[in-house]
Amino acid sequence: MNKYLQVAISISVVVCQLNANAQKYYPAEVQYSYRQVTKQETSDSAVLNFLKPYRDSMQKAMSKVIGFATVTLYQKQPECPLGNFLADAMKTMGEKKFGKKIDVALVNYGGSRAYIPKGEITLQNVFDLMPYDNLVILQEVKGNVLKKFLDYAANKGNWSVSGAKFQVKDRKADSIYINGQLLDEAATYIVANTDYVIRGGSDNQTLLKDIPQVSVGYLFRDAITEYIEQFTKQGKPVTAAIERRVVNADQ
Amino acid sequence: MLINRRKFIQQASLASAAILSSSLLKVNAADDPAETLTILHTNDTHSRLDPFPNDGSRNAGLGGIAARSEIIKKIRSEVSNVLLLDAGDIFQGTPYFNVFKGEAEIKAMSLLGYDAATIGNHDFDAGVDNLATQLQHASFPILICNYDFRGTSMEGKSLPYKIFQKGNLKIGVTGIGIQLKGNVAENLYGKTVYQDPIVSSNLVAEALKSQHKCDLVICLSHLGDKYEDDKISDEILAKESYDIDLIIGAHTHKLFTQPRKYRNRKNNDVIVNQVGWMGLHLGRLDYVFNRSGKKNLAQSHTVVIGKKTSD
Repeated sequence: MNKYLQVAISISVVVCQLNANAQKYYPAEVQYSYRQVTKQETSDSAVLNFLKPYRDSMQKAMSKVIGFATVTLYQKQPECPLGNFLADAMKTMGEKKFGKKIDVALVNYGGSRAYIPKGEITLQNVFDLMPYDNLVILQEVKGNVLKKFLDYAANKGNWSVSGAKFQVKDRKADSIYINGQLLDEAATYIVANTDYVIRGGSDNQTLLKDIPQVSVGYLFRDAITEYIEQFTKQGKPVTAAIERRVVNADQ
Repeated sequence: MLINRRKFIQQASLASAAILSSSLLKVNAADDPAETLTILHTNDTHSRLDPFPNDGSRNAGLGGIAARSEIIKKIRSEVSNVLLLDAGDIFQGTPYFNVFKGEAEIKAMSLLGYDAATIGNHDFDAGVDNLATQLQHASFPILICNYDFRGTSMEGKSLPYKIFQKGNLKIGVTGIGIQLKGNVAENLYGKTVYQDPIVSSNLVAEALKSQHKCDLVICLSHLGDKYEDDKISDEILAKESYDIDLIIGAHTHKLFTQPRKYRNRKNNDVIVNQVGWMGLHLGRLDYVFNRSGKKNLAQSHTVVIGKKTSD
C-alpha cells in the first residue's frame, strides 16, 4: 500500500479518535488450532543437547541409594507393611516439619502406585511409589468427624493409619483408639492427610473439605524420602510389619 | 477498507487450503492494510521437558520440549509476527524440578525464545527465593500485575506488562496470578501480596489501550477457566474487563476444543483459550487485524473465530 495513504489514514484515525481508543488496528478474525506434540515430530537437536547433561545428572540422582529395606514393603488391604510405613512417614516427618504433634496420619490406599522392594531403596523407588505432587496437610478435626472419616475409609476396604487403631465392623470403624485412648467424639484431633484426600479424593467425599487447612508446602513424596534417609543416617535399615492397626471383624 | 477486508478473507481461506498457506498469508499481508499475528501458547507445562515415557500409558511418547521447539521454529519460518507465551506452572511435576529446582525449565524456555510468561502457584513450590534465583536464567520477562513482590527476593524481577512491536502492530501483554492463600503455602510465597486481579488487570489494560495505543491486549492468566462457585476465573475476568482482547488461561489444565468468546464491559469480544498441560499441545491463534476506520470507532468489535484448516 502507498505509504502516503497510510500516513493519511493514520492521521485521520488520530483525529477521529482523540478521546476514544487510538489504536490503529483492531482484531477482526482469529483462526485457532491445537497442535499435539506427537512421537512423529523431529526434535530440536540444540534443545536435546542442552537437556542431556541435566537428564544424565537427574537419572544419576534418581538412582541414588537412599536406604535399605530388610523386607519387601508390599500393599494389601485392610493393613499392610507399605501402608503402615507410609502413614508413619507422614506422621513422623509431618511432626518435624510442622513442629506440632500429630494425632493421626492417614494414607489413602489407591495413592501408592508401587511397592518398595527388599534391598536397596533408590529415589526412583520413591518417585514410582508416589508420582503425585501431593502435599501433607494438617487439620484440627472433631472426634465425631474423624469417626465419620474412618467409617468412610473402612467402607473403602481400609486405608493406612498411624497413631490410631480400629476394628472394621459392618464396614464401619469400630473400637477406635487414638494414642491408645478410645476416640472422644467431642475432642479435637490433629489429623494429617494429603491435599488430594482433603479435596475429595477419587470419589469426591466432602468430609474434610471445609475444615481449615495448614500447609507448609511439604510434599508427601519428600516426607517419604526424608523418612527413609533418617533411618539411613542413624545406620538403620527400613522395615515395617502388620501390627494389627486395622483388624477386620467382619470375617 | 471493506474491499480490502473481503479480499483478505478470501485470500486467507484460499491460503488455508493451500499447503503453503502461511507463506501466502505473509506475502499478501505486505501489500494489504490488514495485519496478522500468530500467538503460540502453552500453560501448566509442569517440568515436562522430556516426552512421556514409552510405557504404553495414555500419553506415551507425547510432548517434550525439543519437539515443541522444532514445531515453533517451523512456524516462525513461515509467518513473520509470532509471539510465544506461557501462562504459568512451569515448575513441578517431574524429577527435573526436584533435582534442579526449575533451572532446566527456565533455561530451556529461553532457548525456545519464549517472549513472556506469567507465574503459576506451583512456581512458588521451592519458595519465592528460588523463583527469583531461577529467573536469572530467563531471557524472557515474567509479566504479572497483581502480585506485589516488595520486600521479597522477587522485587524488581517481574514486570506488570510489556509492549511488543510486531510489524505495524503494537501488542500489550500483561499477566495475573491466582489467590496465593489456599493455593500456596504461606512459608513459600512469603511477603508476596495478592491483589484483586480484575482491578489490577483492568488498570494495566486501560493504560495499554489508551495511553500506549496497543492494537491488542493479551492477559496471561493463572486464575483457571471457570468454577462452579463464584471464585474468580477467566470467565468472570473476561466479562468484568474493559480493554482485554485475549486471555491465555492456565491452572485448570483444560484442553479447549475451541476458544471461548465473551463480551466485556464495553461490549467487545474477549477470547479465552487454554491448552491442557504438560506441553502435550501447542496452542495457536492466528489473528487478522483490520485498520481502524471511522466506521469502527464507536461500535463494539466482534472477532470472528474459525478453526484453522491446515497447520
